[in-house]
Amino acid sequence: MSSQILAEVCQCVEGFGSAAKEGRWRTTLTIYRPVARDPSSTATSAPVPMPGDLPRDFLGLTLHDRPGAYFFILRHHRLILQADANVQSLMDKLQSYKARVVLHFEGFQYQLGDFMLRVGKCVQSHADTLRGIMMEVEYLPLSSIDKSRQIMEDFLDIWQDAVIKKSLPGQFINVELNFADYGLQDQYTPQHTALQYATCIVQLMATVRS
Amino acid sequence: MMPQAQQTTSAVGALAAPQDPLESAGDATTEAPPKQVALAMERLTRAARVIADIRLGADRLLEALFMAADARDQSNSKAVEFILKEESSMRQHFQDLRALGRQLEDSGVLNGSLKSRGNSWGLHMPLVCPDGAVVAYAWKRQLAGQAGASAVDRTRKRMLASDIAEDAKFFIRIFGLALKAFTDQKRRFFPHLDDEVSGDGEIGIAKKRLNSQGLIMSQREELREKKSLSDILKDLEHEFPNARIFTYQRLDWLKRASLLSSSAIENSSDPLKEQILNHSSNTRFGSVNVAAADQAAVIELLVPSVFRAVVSLHPAGSTNPDAVSFFATDEGGNHIHARGLSVHHVFRHVTEHADKALQYFVCVDNNLSLSLLLRWICSHQTLFSKTCSKCDRLLVMDKSLALLLPPVHRAYQETTTTVSSQTESTPPTKAAHPDHISAYHIGCSADDC
Repeated sequence: MSSQILAEVCQCVEGFGSAAKEGRWRTTLTIYRPVARDPSSTATSAPVPMPGDLPRDFLGLTLHDRPGAYFFILRHHRLILQADANVQSLMDKLQSYKARVVLHFEGFQYQLGDFMLRVGKCVQSHADTLRGIMMEVEYLPLSSIDKSRQIMEDFLDIWQDAVIKKSLPGQFINVELNFADYGLQDQYTPQHTALQYATCIVQLMATVRS
Repeated sequence: MMPQAQQTTSAVGALAAPQDPLESAGDATTEAPPKQVALAMERLTRAARVIADIRLGADRLLEALFMAADARDQSNSKAVEFILKEESSMRQHFQDLRALGRQLEDSGVLNGSLKSRGNSWGLHMPLVCPDGAVVAYAWKRQLAGQAGASAVDRTRKRMLASDIAEDAKFFIRIFGLALKAFTDQKRRFFPHLDDEVSGDGEIGIAKKRLNSQGLIMSQREELREKKSLSDILKDLEHEFPNARIFTYQRLDWLKRASLLSSSAIENSSDPLKEQILNHSSNTRFGSVNVAAADQAAVIELLVPSVFRAVVSLHPAGSTNPDAVSFFATDEGGNHIHARGLSVHHVFRHVTEHADKALQYFVCVDNNLSLSLLLRWICSHQTLFSKTCSKCDRLLVMDKSLALLLPPVHRAYQETTTTVSSQTESTPPTKAAHPDHISAYHIGCSADDC
């Protein structure tokens, strides 16, 4: 797992011919940890949530193309919430959750005809160790997940073929996500993207552990 | 029985785009004052109209000749009267055109160096010019908009005028030949026309495909039932329940196009809002659909989540399509109209192919062209799911364009041949069900597709 591989993957994209490098992008994912409160220190009459009640896998996400929005995901409860970016300062003031791990997905963005590709590495903030390499593929003409399924699968096949030729250690895995579980509909939205990043991270961690 | 007059396509469509820019800017030494420019423009417009009339007259004459050729005895005399009447009106038109030509010459718009330009009939064929309609229209607008003539504009005006003159000459020749051929056998019409006219090849091939008998039969069909716009749309709705079809007046469409741009951005996270938008526009224009079918100038074909096609009719309320364009369902903005281009490559290529299909349908069978076109458009509902009939894959990298595209070419010849053969076979089966229309990648297209 090194930057060399990332460079190779980028070359793979550029090898498609008309891929135009468009610039850098960055998405930040924060894994929160609940802050344990000391019941005696609170002066309010509001009920103090017991540590056991607080969700464990609370994720927060900033997407690269939506700087004004912040996404919260509770994976076990299958909830996703889109909020204004100012909610982060609110979180700081409330001090009910603390950021346990902050991960950055960053890299280059390419336009390949009607496809928008974002190839990037996953690094932990302040650590600079490469955790993984990921790619986001967006097919611009369609917004329906159902209608674009075949196109995306075909693209994945073409991509896998191109990557195999480079004989890199490791391969790209696409995890299918059931959006309906989270109450999302067929029309693709930034919330879908947020969920996909969350799944990506989970997948990444699962692979690292095994 | 008087033969019905065929619809004429716009006169502007008759003018072709000259391929090489003239270097004769040096000819114009004096500045043309704006008044002369306006006068010249007006004369050019009149000339264009006269040519349209000539075309219409020529069509009518040919039709009458046809009818006379295989009609029964009682209609023969009527056909002869009709021909005589048309002949005198044609003579009048030609005299008008000559007069206009002389006026233009005198005002210095046409000059000798342009008249001697070579004969390139393949490019000047008035029946089909895939770009001609658009370019000439754009020029007219451009010229009209720039009252103060620059050297470039003067050159262009001269080119336009010389094209009109050459078109007129072409008509005179073809008319003379047609009359000569009539005194021989009827069958010698088409070879004559093909030799003269099919420089481009595509229309020649199209006419050769429909044998003369098929053409006579389809002409009979035309004359018997000329469907109205609302009939065509109703049939289409039955056949394609997925597609949503709306009609608009031209200005109404422009308003809707700008609404689309604002809604595309906001509604991406709110499908309920989009439903409301569609519903409200439907009810707002829904009553217009039924009531003002004679003013409908724009047809919108929406296959939800797949594409939006915009067809323009000219003149309003008729069944003559004159432009078509494809867009993504989420696309919005002022470029969403029948002559606009999508921002997405896939839809651009589909639109390019659709232009050819439109010209084919118009050429082959003018009265059925709208229903053929709309059915062909609806066959694109499988644009992102139907694999190529040749290589059996969906997404393929096109080497020359370096783009990943699904099969964007859908065959259009197949629709018409099965429609014409349908008139001969007795159980009236559905003609070329759109699921059976083959799709091809750009690189996989058969040569005659």
